[in-house]
Amino acid sequence: MLHAVNLTKKYQEHLALDDLNLSIEPGDIYCLLGANGAGKSTTINLFLNFIAPTSGKAVIDKFEVTENPQATRKLIAYIPENLVLYNELSGLENLEYFVGLAGMKYHQEQLVGFLKEAGLQVEAYKKRVKAYSKGMRQKVGVAMAIAKRAKVLLLDEPTSGLDPKASNEFSELLLRLSKQNVATLMATHDLFRAKETGTNIGIMKSGKLVEQLSTEEINHSDLEKLYLNHMSN
Amino acid sequence: MVFLVAAKEIKEIVRSGQFKWMLGIVVLLSMVATYISHVHWQEKNRQRIEAANQARELWLAQGSTNPHNAAHYGTFAFKPQFPLALIDPGVEKYTGVSIFLEAHSRNEADHVAAADQTGLSRFGDLTPDFVLLFIVPLMIIALGHQSVTKEKEQGTLKIIKTQGISNRQLIAGKWLGNYLPVAMLTTCLFVVAALFIGEFDWKFLATLWLVYLAYFAIVNSITLVVSSLTNSSGISLVTLLAIWICSCLAVPKIASSYTNEKHPYPTRQEFEAAIAEDKKKGLDGHDPWSEASKKLERETLEAYQVNKLEDLPFNFDAFRMQKGEEHEAEIYFKHNERLKEVHKEQTTVYQKLAVLSPFLPTRFMSMSLAHTDYSTHWHFADEAEKHRIKMQEILNTNFAENSRLGEWGYKADASLLSEIPEFHFEALDFNEVMSANSSNLGILTAWLLASFGLLIFASTRI
Repeated sequence: MLHAVNLTKKYQEHLALDDLNLSIEPGDIYCLLGANGAGKSTTINLFLNFIAPTSGKAVIDKFEVTENPQATRKLIAYIPENLVLYNELSGLENLEYFVGLAGMKYHQEQLVGFLKEAGLQVEAYKKRVKAYSKGMRQKVGVAMAIAKRAKVLLLDEPTSGLDPKASNEFSELLLRLSKQNVATLMATHDLFRAKETGTNIGIMKSGKLVEQLSTEEINHSDLEKLYLNHMSN
Repeated sequence: MVFLVAAKEIKEIVRSGQFKWMLGIVVLLSMVATYISHVHWQEKNRQRIEAANQARELWLAQGSTNPHNAAHYGTFAFKPQFPLALIDPGVEKYTGVSIFLEAHSRNEADHVAAADQTGLSRFGDLTPDFVLLFIVPLMIIALGHQSVTKEKEQGTLKIIKTQGISNRQLIAGKWLGNYLPVAMLTTCLFVVAALFIGEFDWKFLATLWLVYLAYFAIVNSITLVVSSLTNSSGISLVTLLAIWICSCLAVPKIASSYTNEKHPYPTRQEFEAAIAEDKKKGLDGHDPWSEASKKLERETLEAYQVNKLEDLPFNFDAFRMQKGEEHEAEIYFKHNERLKEVHKEQTTVYQKLAVLSPFLPTRFMSMSLAHTDYSTHWHFADEAEKHRIKMQEILNTNFAENSRLGEWGYKADASLLSEIPEFHFEALDFNEVMSANSSNLGILTAWLLASFGLLIFASTRI
């Protein structure tokens, strides 16, 4: 579903991403770990076509991102670290607007259903977003992905700053979407969440994917050791 | 999708406190300006009608009188108050509202409103055209300067882009979302003004409304272009305010100074001295001893095959008076034509400079459609002069045909005064106004198209 083929991004002399190759299949939750500047966000931005690769290609469901930006955007949902919504609109109105931009139209009841599925409290639906916590905003983001029927979820540190409960709820949502065959690529610093939620883990360092493994192959403490080992070398 | 974006923009605008304050101020200014203009308009109209009636009564009250005395007694031509002056009073304040019509002289318009005001009038008046030309563009800038930059700053633009909407659709939606509240406000202002005016020509009002809508469309497009090409709302606002200052304040003033420098009008002293000089060279109806008068005598006697003036079938004094009047009219016509040429030259320069700012063609078209521009004033002055010449001809002809040479005591019947028609001024009709403004219309259209073109370009850069 999601493939990086020799994907490279260079900013003048700085190599932000170095020959990345990875594949994420439907239902996979691929967690990219790494320090700041390791190339996690660059990878996501390349799949989003926010930046153009220096070489290689990013492919989503057989479409190369740079060649078919409109087609690939129909397949993806993106939730950044801080999902900013329109403060003067309610969660429901934000959802209606963003899915409308994706060319989809739903009745009010259906939209309410998506917010419910994403775990947002009923009393928050019609409140203006300026009163929302970060966790509530992220849930609207998930509702957007559900409503859009996205096949690919691109998440850039979505649980950063969330309290453990909200973080846990978010992970549960991802697992639910995974069961619906959504392929997820998530950049995160949270090793625990990566192990708990992910199906695969990739460790990045200085633009290079230095380790790839299945979460079933490793336990929490070994993952931490492996990660720290890579970071210290 | 365009309408979806527009609807969301309007919803956000309406819900923001910033907009409520701004709208409140602009609506208040618009309504106060329209009301004040309406009160002034009604008062000025009442005064003009009353003055015109009084002038006519005074004219007729002369009764049986010598026609040439009546010609010197004179009367007034009043410029009518045009309905759309309520929206755009133009240069009315500086041009004067009446012209004294008398023998031998073509007078300038008098009763200039600005002359009766204190130095405070330099601050200008609160009129609907001021709100439309200066304040509404500021409102558009305040509403739209962060239309795109805010999305960039907050990060919502990234989310929007991942939804699949094209940049062009997004910008078109934003354009519509910012424009509709302004268009509605403008429409309300015109409806209120139309209700105040009562009687007017729909073609003029509708065209004036469209001209302002086109002006606001240009300002709205430029606002979105700047917002799309900059990354910070602060920079966008400062840039747009600089553009507003240049196009609404600096360019019109520079254009005015430049045109006056390039094609200056003669001073009143120079103008009057040149007329006096020309008059000296020709026939003076009151001077029977001048060379020109003697020449006229010889030619007239020869034409009528008589030896002395007493044998002519008319009063030669009145005949000479009429010939003198015709000669003076030619002189006034020549010198006023020169002034009109300067006006035309200045207008041409203004029209060329209109490519620098959409404010200029809008300003000119607005005044023209409201019949409050200099061209209308020139037209009025010309019509008043034609009326004066006709008046002198009727009076001199009566004098010549009904009296004998030297019979200065002759008194015409009071009915002669009624033969002089009341002055009625018809301004240019719609087609003539549009034809005179074809250049302004072309430049405004070019601005509109160019701003849309820039907007399409800017949409590729967000």
